[in-house]
Amino acid sequence: MFIKIALTTLLVTLAMTASAAVKIGEPAPDFTGIDTGGNKVTLSDFRGRPVILEWTNNGCPYVRKHYASGNMQKQQRAATDKGAVWLSIISSAPGKQGHVTPAQADALTAERKAVPSAVILDESGDIGRLYGAKTTPHMFIVDTEGKLAYIGGIDSIPSTNPADIGKATQYLPIALAQVMKGEPVAVSVTRPYGCSVKY
Amino acid sequence: MARLIALLILLSGVPGVAPASDSAQTEQVRLKLLAEHDAAIPNTTLWLGLRFELIPHWHIYWRNPGDSGEAPRVDWQLPDGWRAGDIQWPTPQRIQVGALVNYGYADWVTLLVPISVPPAQARDEQVKIAADVSWLVCREECIPQDAHLQISLPVAQDGERPSADNDFDTVRARWPAALLGHAAYHHGESGLTLRIEATGWQKEQLASIWFAANDWGPIAPSQPQPWRFDKDVLVLSLPEGDAPLAEGASLDGLLVVTDAASSSMRGFAINAKPIDTVSAPARKPPVTLFLALGLALLGGLLLNLMPCVLPVLSIKVVSLVQHAPDGRSGRHGLAFGAGVLMSLLVLAALLITLRAGGASLGWGFQLQEPWVVIALLYLMLALGLNLSGVYSVGSGLAGVGQNLTEHTGLRGTFFTGVLAVIVASPCTAPFMGTALGFALTRPPLETLMVFAALGIGFSLPMMLLGFWPRWVSLLPAPGPWMERLRNALAFPLYATAAWLLWVLSQQVGPSALAGALAGSLMLAFGLWWLGQPLRRRVLRDALAGALVCASLALLVVTGAKAPARSESSEHESWSPERVSELQRENHPVLVNFTAAWCITCKVNEQVALSTDAVRQALDERRIVYLKGDWTSRNPAISEELRRHGRSGVPLYLLYPPEKGLPEVLPQLLTEGLVLQALSRITRN
Repeated sequence: MFIKIALTTLLVTLAMTASAAVKIGEPAPDFTGIDTGGNKVTLSDFRGRPVILEWTNNGCPYVRKHYASGNMQKQQRAATDKGAVWLSIISSAPGKQGHVTPAQADALTAERKAVPSAVILDESGDIGRLYGAKTTPHMFIVDTEGKLAYIGGIDSIPSTNPADIGKATQYLPIALAQVMKGEPVAVSVTRPYGCSVKY
Repeated sequence: MARLIALLILLSGVPGVAPASDSAQTEQVRLKLLAEHDAAIPNTTLWLGLRFELIPHWHIYWRNPGDSGEAPRVDWQLPDGWRAGDIQWPTPQRIQVGALVNYGYADWVTLLVPISVPPAQARDEQVKIAADVSWLVCREECIPQDAHLQISLPVAQDGERPSADNDFDTVRARWPAALLGHAAYHHGESGLTLRIEATGWQKEQLASIWFAANDWGPIAPSQPQPWRFDKDVLVLSLPEGDAPLAEGASLDGLLVVTDAASSSMRGFAINAKPIDTVSAPARKPPVTLFLALGLALLGGLLLNLMPCVLPVLSIKVVSLVQHAPDGRSGRHGLAFGAGVLMSLLVLAALLITLRAGGASLGWGFQLQEPWVVIALLYLMLALGLNLSGVYSVGSGLAGVGQNLTEHTGLRGTFFTGVLAVIVASPCTAPFMGTALGFALTRPPLETLMVFAALGIGFSLPMMLLGFWPRWVSLLPAPGPWMERLRNALAFPLYATAAWLLWVLSQQVGPSALAGALAGSLMLAFGLWWLGQPLRRRVLRDALAGALVCASLALLVVTGAKAPARSESSEHESWSPERVSELQRENHPVLVNFTAAWCITCKVNEQVALSTDAVRQALDERRIVYLKGDWTSRNPAISEELRRHGRSGVPLYLLYPPEKGLPEVLPQLLTEGLVLQALSRITRN
């Protein structure tokens, strides 16, 4: 009986001390979201392929900078062509900027000629809070083993001016290339810039 | 709106159209470019201001916008030779947006920029100064805006004194002030700990304090920043941000203080240097897991010899002698081992959980609480009285926890093991310190493994005796001598009780001490009453029970509101700032981390630190002796211990003069060793 108590104490302790912080090198928290087609999308299903999580809000000028210039779509195509999974996640709460119905989201995707693998509608904000998503855009890369390899901004110049994209260091594509080659990501944490996520 | 401005900019190139303006307006913002003086004086600094006026509920951002947002930017177009400096940022507000935090300005703000005016200027020239300003203005949604502004200024002639715009001084008043005190930081349990001393502030004066780093990365803006005063040092716990500071980097930012009386907000510029110490063992553990397991095993073995364990050993011996004829001593040895192991693992689990919850605890933390000391005191007293034959367990109150060790049978031996661990917990044997220090910074599984190794080492002698009880056959047959042995072995227990009383006296005031003594008296009386042969068993049990309960009640009352005694000031007390200060004054520093309940510490002090030879050496070499008293909980000391890979006391550090990392002295000191170390530190 005592052994049982001891074991239970141990297990409870171990469970409590397992932290849920989102950190480079730690396993990415698993989640299941609903995409615009009503299908369930689970992160762990993609184990073995790199996954890019892009928090987005079509009303935010910083997101518009990357979509109007075609930069985001270009990166989405490059990533998915190489076998990575690109999930665009909208964590705006109902009534707030960026919140869209599935139909509206699909229309936006078509209009902007975006090619994410799926657009996940997270109106409760659970997935956003799970990852600590603060801005739109906020980018995360999950490597083939399910661990976080990159957290931060899409590039190095925090502005709304599309002309700055060409001058900036392209953090996301560089990190993604390193993940795909199996190399450690040199710059794995950068400042995410943009509007705040409208939880 | 942006299009209109763009149009104006385009059109301004066409002659005949109105020139570019010194102000711009959008729906949310009115922006104006101002100069402090109405003429530029050669070879001086001319201050320019960008004055933003915002409509209600909208805000722009500080240099570090926080979790989201963007700081305003300026691109200057200046005449040749003129240079623009950095924007001087007034103290921002903390703006909460849901779960995120931004730093920014609402209502109005003027950003001042120093422009250096070169000496040689042609006279009577009108200079044109232009600025391309871009900013993000937000309410809940954000709008990026920009403006092109331009002003013309004459160059001052010799002897001219241009008039100044006095509003600029009002703006300067909103800049963060220089801090009167000294700021330093070090890495804590889950972030950075900022220590600011000599501020002259009192806790009651302050309604709130928060810190914002100048740049993104080191500190997470949206997490709470608990603060407290440690004597007159302000200590803030800052949650680490996404890009932690590099080793040795300075923490630069702003401390914003809100006055309780006037509710006014003031900002202070902070440039905190890291406190010079060994880097946290969590980054580079100096001990590997295997080494730690070996040290734990050895430490456990040596723990058997520690003075606080000896009394319980006496109970162990008695019970072993009782079981020798049975031939079941092997199983008893194992039961003892199981008891030790299980209680150590539970203790480890408790420590892990509490530390995960944020408490800065180390080994021996149990004895930092007065009520634990009183409880152990009662326990020792009760066990001693039992061995003295004052009462025995059989009927009535049989089964109460403390009497479990008296049960013959495996269960009794198991609980003797548990008891051994409880009493041994405040002692730190040699090697144990390093092993435990390592264990408490590692993942929970490794911590538990080290504690298990400790348990095995501790119970090894008993288990070996259990399996090879040949020595037991050397003992005479059971007889009256056993009773005499029992009575004699009660005295080590009384000695431990006396020692616990002394520890208590260091922790609480006289009235609480009297309460503990009164409780002990009631407990003793109750137990004696229990041992009396009375016909009416119910009466006897009831009275005994009442007395025991009364003593327990006293325990709770005195332990709970035990007032902490002010520390005796025979030795200067330790603080990290004092160490750096003394080093700067070219003194070597000897730091002794000790606690009243730590026997090893007391022995070392007697034998090696308080001797005449050592005192003389300290005087001659101008070495200052600081004491860190860990008798009651002290988070600063806990952190310092952790940083040196230890989880408990003693810890001896010898700092060289000027600056540098300290030498760590061994846990068991001799006078010779200390003298050698002192001469070594001053030789260089």
